[in-house]
Amino acid sequence: ALSAGQKRTHPAHIPGHFPEFPDPHTYIKTPTFREPVSDYQVVREKAATQRRDVERALTRFMAKTGETQSLFKDDITAFPLIAARPSTIPYLSALLPSELELQTLEETDSSEQDDQTDNENTTGNIINDDPGADKENSMLPPSGGVPSTKSSEDNVIDNPYLRPVKKPKVRRKK
Amino acid sequence: MNRKKDKGFESPRPFKLTHQVVCINNVNFQRKSVIGFVELTIFPTVVNLNRIKLNSKQCRIYRVRVNELEAPFIYNDPTLEVCHNESKQRNLNYFSSAYAAAVSAVDPDAGHGELIIKVPSELWKQGDDLKVLKVYIEFSLDQPKGGLHFVVPDVEGSMAERGAHVFSFGYQNSTRFWFPCVDSYSELCTWKLEFTVDASMVAVSCGDLVETIYTHDMRKKTFHYVLPIPTAAPNISLSVGPFEILVDPYMHEVTHFCLPQLLPLLKHTMSYLHEIFEFYEEILTCRYPYSCFKTVFVDEAYVEVSSYASMSIFSTNLLHSAMIIDQTPQTRRCLAQALAQQFFGCFISRMTWADEWVLKGISGYIYGLYLKKTFGVNEYRHWIKEELDTIVDYELKMGGVLLHPIFSGVKEKDNPTPHLHFSVKHPHTLSWEYYKMFQCKAHLVMRLIENRISMEFMLQVFNKLLSLASTASSQKYQSHMWSQMLVSTHAFLKSISNVSGKDIGPVIKQWVDQSAVVKFFGSFAFNRKRNVLELEIRQDYTSSGTQKYVGPIKVTVQELDGSFNHTLQIEENSLKHDIPCHSKSRRNKKKKIPLMNGEEVDMDLSAMDADSPLLWIRIDPDMSILRKVEFEQADFMWQYQLRYERDVVAQEESISALEKFPTPASRLALTDILEQEQCFYKVRMQACFCLSRIANSMVSTWQGPPAMKSLFTRMFCCKSCPNIVKTNNFINFQSYFLQKTMPVAMALLRDVQNLCPKDVLNFILDLIKYNDNRKNKFSDNYYRADLIEALTNSLTPAISINNEVRTVDNLNADVRLILEEITRYLNMEKLLPSFRNTITVRYKTNCALFSNYFHNRLIRQLFSRLIKYLFSP
Repeated sequence: ALSAGQKRTHPAHIPGHFPEFPDPHTYIKTPTFREPVSDYQVVREKAATQRRDVERALTRFMAKTGETQSLFKDDITAFPLIAARPSTIPYLSALLPSELELQTLEETDSSEQDDQTDNENTTGNIINDDPGADKENSMLPPSGGVPSTKSSEDNVIDNPYLRPVKKPKVRRKK
Repeated sequence: MNRKKDKGFESPRPFKLTHQVVCINNVNFQRKSVIGFVELTIFPTVVNLNRIKLNSKQCRIYRVRVNELEAPFIYNDPTLEVCHNESKQRNLNYFSSAYAAAVSAVDPDAGHGELIIKVPSELWKQGDDLKVLKVYIEFSLDQPKGGLHFVVPDVEGSMAERGAHVFSFGYQNSTRFWFPCVDSYSELCTWKLEFTVDASMVAVSCGDLVETIYTHDMRKKTFHYVLPIPTAAPNISLSVGPFEILVDPYMHEVTHFCLPQLLPLLKHTMSYLHEIFEFYEEILTCRYPYSCFKTVFVDEAYVEVSSYASMSIFSTNLLHSAMIIDQTPQTRRCLAQALAQQFFGCFISRMTWADEWVLKGISGYIYGLYLKKTFGVNEYRHWIKEELDTIVDYELKMGGVLLHPIFSGVKEKDNPTPHLHFSVKHPHTLSWEYYKMFQCKAHLVMRLIENRISMEFMLQVFNKLLSLASTASSQKYQSHMWSQMLVSTHAFLKSISNVSGKDIGPVIKQWVDQSAVVKFFGSFAFNRKRNVLELEIRQDYTSSGTQKYVGPIKVTVQELDGSFNHTLQIEENSLKHDIPCHSKSRRNKKKKIPLMNGEEVDMDLSAMDADSPLLWIRIDPDMSILRKVEFEQADFMWQYQLRYERDVVAQEESISALEKFPTPASRLALTDILEQEQCFYKVRMQACFCLSRIANSMVSTWQGPPAMKSLFTRMFCCKSCPNIVKTNNFINFQSYFLQKTMPVAMALLRDVQNLCPKDVLNFILDLIKYNDNRKNKFSDNYYRADLIEALTNSLTPAISINNEVRTVDNLNADVRLILEEITRYLNMEKLLPSFRNTITVRYKTNCALFSNYFHNRLIRQLFSRLIKYLFSP
């Protein structure tokens, strides 16, 4: 039989009639793993498909377990729409950002978005100074800047709506 | 002209109101009712005042007392039954005149009212020394149909937990709907307002909150407001609800209110208000007239903005977070409008309905100045053009809008606006659409006056009006100064002539005293021998909604040697105008071409007519006439105008004109504009749609990929994989708006079979598939809504002969894909709603297209359900 290298001998506590240790190459390990996909196109493709699958699965599940409306008479299972249920306070869900969005906002606030800025600054001294659009950019962010002085001044603010409600005057009993 | 020449204001009433108390003791959300009383302090101006006419609608009146004496009263509201069982004449004309008569019969500006109180005879004799009368009226209001609006969500919990609230609303003078008063803009008085509401609620009203006191059982509290500035009843308002309170961090006298849970949005939305305050105070060189200001955001508001003395009520839908792009400028516009109306409309009121145009004009005009400063000159000019087009289209279609109706008063038949199906004599007989156009025209006319006398003088006039009013407002009633707070057309014009020394008579005569707009047709020929431009300007003044214009008109001619302004006189019978040209047609010299703004540019002149030095011609470039111009010039001239004229209005005009010239040269000019980053984004958005229409007209000769596709790929897709769009980053708003618009316009492309090209559809589906907003600072809800709109645009409505019903089986594959996407989007929105449910709303607005495609009733039923979902309860 083929053998490679020196086999280990038995330590003292192992009796001699025991079989020999296997060849040393038995103990050699070469960890292998699949190369992570780093191709941009594939990553995007994957992310898109994954999101779509999740969304489809979720909406289908919701549609199947709840009431639905359908676009077609002949096959009501074809494009199931989750039934529209009137909400009692519709403006809340419509105006408040979802937790998901808030989370995104926090993440992106810290990480600068700069990958696309280079092509914005392609200046040519040509055409139309465009004050309108520039201004619009500068006016939106940053978000709701409440001045830092506010918290310290809070107690000083004299606003009638913040004043305590007065107790009624006790009328003299007649 | 019988414009009032007298200086002062003559009250139509035999008494003068000086002070009014409004006390609402109980607001019942369960029953939607309120109970309270009012007390009016009046000074008779005649001896033997025996009748007092007040306004009141839908209120139940329990008792009336004058100076502690019970007084008999008659209550009659003729508008409740307009036609009195008239059975013979069941037509609109009859109704219209009967309704106008009913409104006149109770018109407070004529001294009338629904409520007639007999003054007890004991008080008549005191008439000699014109003693004060105190009129005390107890009333209640049950399930009001106007004036006050109750919002009571149908959920568990106390009224405060449910977010129940109530607010006043109404078109023009509608305060009589919720308490008895003199419901006229010209009857000013000081106010004391008291509202007792549940302890968990806040009552917001006009004036200063002096104190809040618990009732004895501690379950309710009373808000005491005092408004020392003389104010007309229509400018009084109220809102009660479990509001969250935000004191403006920049201005502590300004307080904002919103419904529970919306405080973070309120903070963000209001972080900008102080800049608008500063702007107006600076241009008007006048402090904000009231000592405090309140904004309240309510649900189910009928209009987005309504302004009252020292407070404004807004729709809660204007609130937004920092992630929302499209809503932000819109909300800021609404805030600016509200604030402009605080100065002109609330603080300064009007004498009569005929003077309304001055107030609407001034507030609209200073709002325009704000737009110019904040959003830039391009946005401002774009807005003016938009407004001008709107009013011109309306008047040409529906007939003229008259800003200053003068009624000789005697004959009803002297109708200054016979083309309308309603009377313009009262605000309440107008159509809503007409009133909107009225406001639009009013601010445009103010701009025309500004053109005539300069902005400095304009602002001086406003300042004068404001300072007169604020002096008057601090006076006691007895000094008879309060009428200085009322503006009249006459006083306004007089002030203009005093300040500027200029005669604006022709402007007023043409646009204020007269309705209708001007319609020009222009064409030209170049006379080479004389080196003269022969311009012909014709007018149509016979069609409905048109009038004849005589006077100066500016024409700008761009020649090879530069841009030249000419002022022509439009006269009775002269159509032709000779304009001498400055440059000979010598294009061989390679020379830069000077533009109007002093810039010099290189142009490729090969498209030009070799014999003519004319590049383009513009009629009335500054929009100083309310007009429509149809001008004929060659396609290459429009193309030059689009590429090289720097004015956004000129660019937009040339885009509209180029639709008629589907040629490769037009295509190139539009594509160049699309790529031009310095160009105003709204012009580029308009160019997208024009390009898709041109592409459709050129379908048989179109070369290359579908219009805009390669451009979009270059601008917004990844360099390494051009079929995948970059992850969203909307930090540059110009390109965001372009990114949103291009797919919508592309989806309108059609091939020779009149179908949306396969390329385009797949392209849009890919945009949806690869849309990735995870790294974006802004929400992509409007972008996704536009993608949905693009999908619906890509469907060509089927021409069906036998009205066949489409079924799942006979759907083609493309339609299946589209439906699949839309279903998924709609379902996702129900699970994770987007801002203002943009996507569902957009889908709904496209429903007509959809149902055309499917001939499917079911789809329409779905929409009605969706509408219920969106606007419930």
